[in-house]
Amino acid sequence: MSYIGIIITFVFINNFILTQFLGLCPFIGVSKNVESAVGMGFAVTFVMALASISSWVIYHYVLVPLDIVFLQTISFILVIAALVQFVELVIQKISPALYKALGIFLPLITTNCAVLGIALINVRNDYNALESFIAGIAAGLGFLLAILLMSTIRVKLDTEWVPKPFRGIPIAFITGGLMALAFMAFDNALLKNLLG
Amino acid sequence: MKEVMKIGGKLAAICAIAAIALGVVNAITEPIILAARAEKLRLALSELSAGLEIGEFIKTDNESSIIGYYPLSSGEKTEAYIINIIGDGYAGDLNLLTAISNGGEVLSVVLMEDTETPGLGKEAENASYMEKFIGTGNGSIIPSSKSHLNAKDADSITGASITFIGIGKALNEAAGFVSQLGGM
Amino acid sequence: MLKEFTKGLIKENPVFIIVLGLCPALGVSTKVINSLGMGAGVIFVLLGSNIFVSLLKNFIPEKVRIPAYIVIIASFVTIVEMVMEAFLPALYDSLGVFVPLIVVNCIILGRAEAFANKNTVKASILDALGMGLGFTLALVIIALVREVFGLGTITLFPMGSFNGVIEIPGLIDSPVRVFGLAAGALLVMGLLKALFTWIEDIRRVKQ
Repeated sequence: MSYIGIIITFVFINNFILTQFLGLCPFIGVSKNVESAVGMGFAVTFVMALASISSWVIYHYVLVPLDIVFLQTISFILVIAALVQFVELVIQKISPALYKALGIFLPLITTNCAVLGIALINVRNDYNALESFIAGIAAGLGFLLAILLMSTIRVKLDTEWVPKPFRGIPIAFITGGLMALAFMAFDNALLKNLLG
Repeated sequence: MKEVMKIGGKLAAICAIAAIALGVVNAITEPIILAARAEKLRLALSELSAGLEIGEFIKTDNESSIIGYYPLSSGEKTEAYIINIIGDGYAGDLNLLTAISNGGEVLSVVLMEDTETPGLGKEAENASYMEKFIGTGNGSIIPSSKSHLNAKDADSITGASITFIGIGKALNEAAGFVSQLGGM
Repeated sequence: MLKEFTKGLIKENPVFIIVLGLCPALGVSTKVINSLGMGAGVIFVLLGSNIFVSLLKNFIPEKVRIPAYIVIIASFVTIVEMVMEAFLPALYDSLGVFVPLIVVNCIILGRAEAFANKNTVKASILDALGMGLGFTLALVIIALVREVFGLGTITLFPMGSFNGVIEIPGLIDSPVRVFGLAAGALLVMGLLKALFTWIEDIRRVKQ
């Protein structure tokens, strides 16, 4: 698949949150205001891009040559955990301002399904290094798009009357459901028509 | 420093034990998994061949969606081909095996692998889903759009039309490929 | 002691009350059998990780406890993955990427961190069973709603002459397909969560 095809696929057609249910916890938990949603979105995109490339290296240069592919899940999650720690340290040293904005989200990212999800999906799709990296960024941007839209809607919902049992999380799910319905317009046939 | 070594050592010990335990489980399950996969392919092929003799798998080297084919013969004469083709589903690729006669008739279709949405495109995994394709071709149209179907069949693919179109197009391509093979 | 077991079922239900482990809850809940399979996998991993974390609570150094827990959890997940692929290939295929993703199911790491590393093995086992069954119960409820409306069937295990599929008259011919889709999962989850909040409110008012 072409690189543009991969980007369109992961941002729109297979949007991680709205069609694959990956990364739902932060989608519901961190979308109460726009600022933290955007912070989380960028932090996730950053970690997903790094996780894609490093899991690709581990898979093709360690797991496959040693014939221990069955250790895939365990090694990917350790790589991601280490990566998140490392990113946290680096950001803290280089840019305290960025750390202040993203810092609180970083520990949450290790257990974000989307990050381990992209590492596993890259392997399942047989992507090469560059394709994995692009898929990681695209899936992260898809996450950012969904969480940004969601937080904007939730801020508006705050000023509207909502039946009492639906306030908070339930209405967030229903909003997400309606967004997912809209995202159904993006499918493989659309991609074929766009790219020929 | 000693403290760090101790902590690292303990963590390494846990990792090592985990890796060994997984190695043992893997040694038990891997042969079963491989056998099951080979068995699935064998079953699909024997169903598709309908008693004809299955020849060697021939890989196509071009970049088309056709991965390769098995000739099916009775005696010396090649009667049909099993084509392995990739179609476009709703969520990703559809890996199909289809038997097509020399005349271009679709004899049978099996969906080997897909990533379709459960409950919609996933229905294509059921054998009965493929019935609307079987017997088409060789003069009649292999359906690849809703307008090719009667009302009842068209109803049955509602919600999964992309999967249906994907399979239909792939089968048309496979039939075209067989007619080329026949000409050789 | 028994309360360690029952709390996970309703009062601290991981999915409906604490809202954790959402990805698999929505991702695999298209059919009841998928929910049961996922639930069984999670119960096994939760039991294994709770037992080992509780046993090793004095051995694991405080500073690296999270990586250590992750290694323990990931090992059990990989075992589930391999055993399921070998013996239940159809279930393994339909759960797809959600099987390895049990690793990042927050419920499991959450129980290791919040419960198993400060409690006895016995209490940790009860906690794991309760939380695991609570998770399974939630998944089955979501799947029941989605499958009955979205497909008009209830898919269970095939047993003897029973092929495992119960067909709902009326819905089987004209199911409301949106329930089977991603959108339907989110809508059903929102409605069920609202229902739970509503019941909880009524109970509180009565007290």
